[in-house]
Amino acid sequence: MITRRLQYELIKHVGGPFLMELQGLQKRLKGRRGPRPDSPFGPPLESIGKLKDLMTRHYLEGRYADGAVPVAWVTSGFPVELLRTLGFHSVYPENHAALCGVQRLCSEYSDAAEKVGYSRSLCSYARTDIGGVLLDKTPVGRLPRPDLLACCTNICQTVLYWYRCLADHFKVPLVLIDTPYVYGAKDSAEHHQQYVKDQLEELMAVAERVSGRRASEERLLEVARLSYEGTMLWGECLAESTHRPAPWTGFDGFFHIGPIVALRGGAECNAYYRHLLDELRDRVRRGVGGIKEERYRLLWDNLPIWFNVREMSTLLAENRFNIVVTTYTNAWAEAGKRMDPTDPINSAARSYTHVILNEDLDRRLELMSRLAGDYQVDGALLHSDRSCKPYSIGQVDLRDKLAERAGIKSLLLEADHNDLRAYSTEQGNTRLQAFMESFA
Amino acid sequence: MTLASDPGNRSPGGLLWSPTAGFAAVGLNARRRTAGMRTDYIKEQKQAHGRKVLAVLPIQYPKELLTAMDVLAVELWGPPGAPRGPGAGRIQAYVCAVARNAVAFVQAGGTQDVDGYLYPHACDSIQGLATLIPSFGGADKPALHYLNPKGGPRPSSRKFVVAELRDLARKLEGITGVSLVADRLEWAIGLHREIDGLRLQLLEGRSRLALADRALYEVLRRGEWLWPEDHLAELKEAAGGLAEGGEGAVKQKGVPLLLTGIVPEPMTIFDELADLGAYVAADDYAAVGRRVVRKPLVRKDDPVETLAWLMFAYPPCPTRSTSLAERMDYLNRLVQQSGAQGVVIHTVKFCEPELFDVAGIKAHFGAQDVPVLFLESELESELAGQTVTRLEAFVEMVAQRRKS
Amino acid sequence: MSGVALGVDAGSTTWKGVVLGSAGEIIDSVVVPAEPLVEQQTRVELAKLREATHTPEDAPVGATGYGRKRVRADRAITEITCHARGAFHRTGKAGVLVDMGGQDSKVIRIGVDGTVADFSMNDKCAAGTGRFLEVLLGRLKVGWDQVPGLVGSAESAVSVSSTCTVFAESEVISLMAEGEPVPGILKGVHQSLASRVATLAGILPVDLPVFMSGGVALGRAMVDALSKELGRPVTVLPEPQLVGALGAALSVR
Repeated sequence: MITRRLQYELIKHVGGPFLMELQGLQKRLKGRRGPRPDSPFGPPLESIGKLKDLMTRHYLEGRYADGAVPVAWVTSGFPVELLRTLGFHSVYPENHAALCGVQRLCSEYSDAAEKVGYSRSLCSYARTDIGGVLLDKTPVGRLPRPDLLACCTNICQTVLYWYRCLADHFKVPLVLIDTPYVYGAKDSAEHHQQYVKDQLEELMAVAERVSGRRASEERLLEVARLSYEGTMLWGECLAESTHRPAPWTGFDGFFHIGPIVALRGGAECNAYYRHLLDELRDRVRRGVGGIKEERYRLLWDNLPIWFNVREMSTLLAENRFNIVVTTYTNAWAEAGKRMDPTDPINSAARSYTHVILNEDLDRRLELMSRLAGDYQVDGALLHSDRSCKPYSIGQVDLRDKLAERAGIKSLLLEADHNDLRAYSTEQGNTRLQAFMESFA
Repeated sequence: MTLASDPGNRSPGGLLWSPTAGFAAVGLNARRRTAGMRTDYIKEQKQAHGRKVLAVLPIQYPKELLTAMDVLAVELWGPPGAPRGPGAGRIQAYVCAVARNAVAFVQAGGTQDVDGYLYPHACDSIQGLATLIPSFGGADKPALHYLNPKGGPRPSSRKFVVAELRDLARKLEGITGVSLVADRLEWAIGLHREIDGLRLQLLEGRSRLALADRALYEVLRRGEWLWPEDHLAELKEAAGGLAEGGEGAVKQKGVPLLLTGIVPEPMTIFDELADLGAYVAADDYAAVGRRVVRKPLVRKDDPVETLAWLMFAYPPCPTRSTSLAERMDYLNRLVQQSGAQGVVIHTVKFCEPELFDVAGIKAHFGAQDVPVLFLESELESELAGQTVTRLEAFVEMVAQRRKS
Repeated sequence: MSGVALGVDAGSTTWKGVVLGSAGEIIDSVVVPAEPLVEQQTRVELAKLREATHTPEDAPVGATGYGRKRVRADRAITEITCHARGAFHRTGKAGVLVDMGGQDSKVIRIGVDGTVADFSMNDKCAAGTGRFLEVLLGRLKVGWDQVPGLVGSAESAVSVSSTCTVFAESEVISLMAEGEPVPGILKGVHQSLASRVATLAGILPVDLPVFMSGGVALGRAMVDALSKELGRPVTVLPEPQLVGALGAALSVR
């Protein structure tokens, strides 16, 4: 197989700016040998090396995927297990866009999209992706052309509008899994669930046609099992941060989430999290924290501010604040609660419907309060993401309600997940500083 | 019921009323009067007719079902103007004004006479609004949700819509106290088909109608809150002004334009266009033309299934569809049928579904050398100076091309 | 004098007026800071121009700009159409006009017959306008006349990523505090501005010449930055601030 052929190149190729960024981060924390004496962070995670390899391999595989295997461009909340069963190589434009965001490439790519008429007020992941496609540019070498676009509205409706533009550009089929929003109840209504199940069946038909393969029940069960296992392992990794001090930071989590998003349902993803879990448990045993001195613990809500991770994490760490839980990273673990790998279709219908962004604000508040309690946080950072409406609407109220219900104070920080032009670091730092001072 | 027969104040550069229609409401005073009229009308519907009233959010919902159950739908598009009151800051400024203004308005008591709220699933912003108020407060009346399926008609979504409609009927029963009767639904479907037929006549026969845009849209938009039978009566009256003699009798001499967007606010945009010597030859506003079914009705044995069929028969809307090409084809046909010489995209700022299509519309019409103007509205109560300049320049441009 | 016309461009930052002769040449002109009472200013300035050039009272007046509807004129036309006319009068050919004014910027595609083929504007915020430059020059404590020299001497541009004026100001203060060289920052500011305008311009056909008008075009550094960003030469029209008023006069001649 292709992956095998490339393994040789991998040892040499620590390619991909994403990984160079991680390397850079590591270097900054580590220097040549061990962390800088004045670094506010704890020793960097050893697992980072393996993470690099895993993600490099994924992107490198991608370069040679089209023509060799069926390729799908997939939204982060899509029931990808069904595609994996058919041997699709999955590309995650959101993951790729985040990588570009870290690299501060969004401005350039978005400009290209804006020039043809995409408004700057649109989701910055979409602008990064569409711009990259128009420019035929990417920091990961090459993205394979899709044979299929796979979109699930459980994270937002924007992905539908975005993927519809991609479908028009690439002239390939777009499969949609429309997950009705869960209003006013803990569980999705029966006919809503039936709708999702029916769509999953329709999806299989299209995917089989596009791939020219038949899905085997056995393989589907296997992938579902691996997906469930990976989800639980990721959850366990996150749960290590309930300890004091937390063995890693929420910002670390933003990077280590890569495999569960992009490689879910595969054995390597799970092997990686086992490795990471071991390291985290070891650090907990030895009392090693993600930051040197953990005085205050925070919850982060909404997407990361990709272009500012380094600066923000440093500022917080220097002030002895650690992000010990995020609703973003937690989302891929939370899904596990509704999964049943022995019944893949029903499980997918249920677990992919009941994700944080597809459940009402009562549920959101419950979740955030629970996380705040479980992780014993002192406060919350609510990233008010200007180009992510579904995650940001309700935060103004949530800030007050969290204070009432969980007794924690929050900072509503206006920024953007990918577009640095929408954020003033100077102003943002001032707000963060003032927030941190208020804990004294 | 009374219609405004008082000509009202003349707003700068605004056309008053058309002799053929005999009524119109222009200017700020008239806007206040219309709002007052609306409140009185709602009260009258409740008291004299015993109807229940639901405030309905954009965009698309099964109005036939509400009519069949004797429920008056009062649509909430904004309202325009800066959001005020305790709810004004609950939704961030980078979210569209349709959602922001709605929460402010509701929380300030603007919908106090309603018996409940219906939130169709239109987009992320309406989705958020639809949980913000029920979960975190702002109105104490029941909230009903109608989950519009996304994507075109598939076996899964057709089946789903039938179930969702029955579910909504059950929920409506909780408000009205009576259950849905098949005959009433048949009747309601027929009524709304008749309404759509007239709306279509007016929209497609635009060039033969000696009615100012402003007056026409006033009539069309009153359908957002009138009891359908009342709306039908007004439409018939307006359609009476359609020139006899078919194609030959063109009454509109201005520059013909296609307007596409969410909602025509502020309505003074029509006065402005008239002043500039242009008129709306074709309409693709989500609040207006995009909700007029143009296909012949396919009747099923069960009227709920007929209604389900109808829910997929609307013109393409970016909030629901998976095909850009389908929408471009449709807009193309509109331009061709109407002879429109320019396209104006009149979106609401931050409206994701509309904005994602702008590049496609520009490319598509650019390739055919049809000029496209992009305007952003924040549902302000008066047209911004910058918007007026752009409209003027655009009409100047299109008019020039007409000459050469 | 027959065939003489007057053109007024009542902008939000500056008031411009031209007297156009029968042969299509500008006989006289004036550029002064805009006053809030635009009708009054227009009356006064037009009177001065008429007197200086012996132009009769009945000579037609065309008005454009933000205040065009408030002044007494024979015709009020948008600045888009007027700039296209004025530019075409100067160049005689199709092209793309980039007009950067005090508080707005616009890009106008001019057809072979001198009419407007397409346009896009930014008049809702200071990004991409003279105001952006003004604010940042203030921060950097640099005078307009010092700009060409300083930018010319910059080894490399210090990236100023914000296109929003308010954010850019914070960013520049921060850069200065970090000891970044002023010439470099200044060059970066110009690049940021050019980038914003280039986005407004969209995808330009390869063969179409690019012209510039407006007060900001008087700055060589800005022209160079824009030229670099667009990847092609940019020609500044003669008397760049008067292009709109010229077009207004042409519209009533």
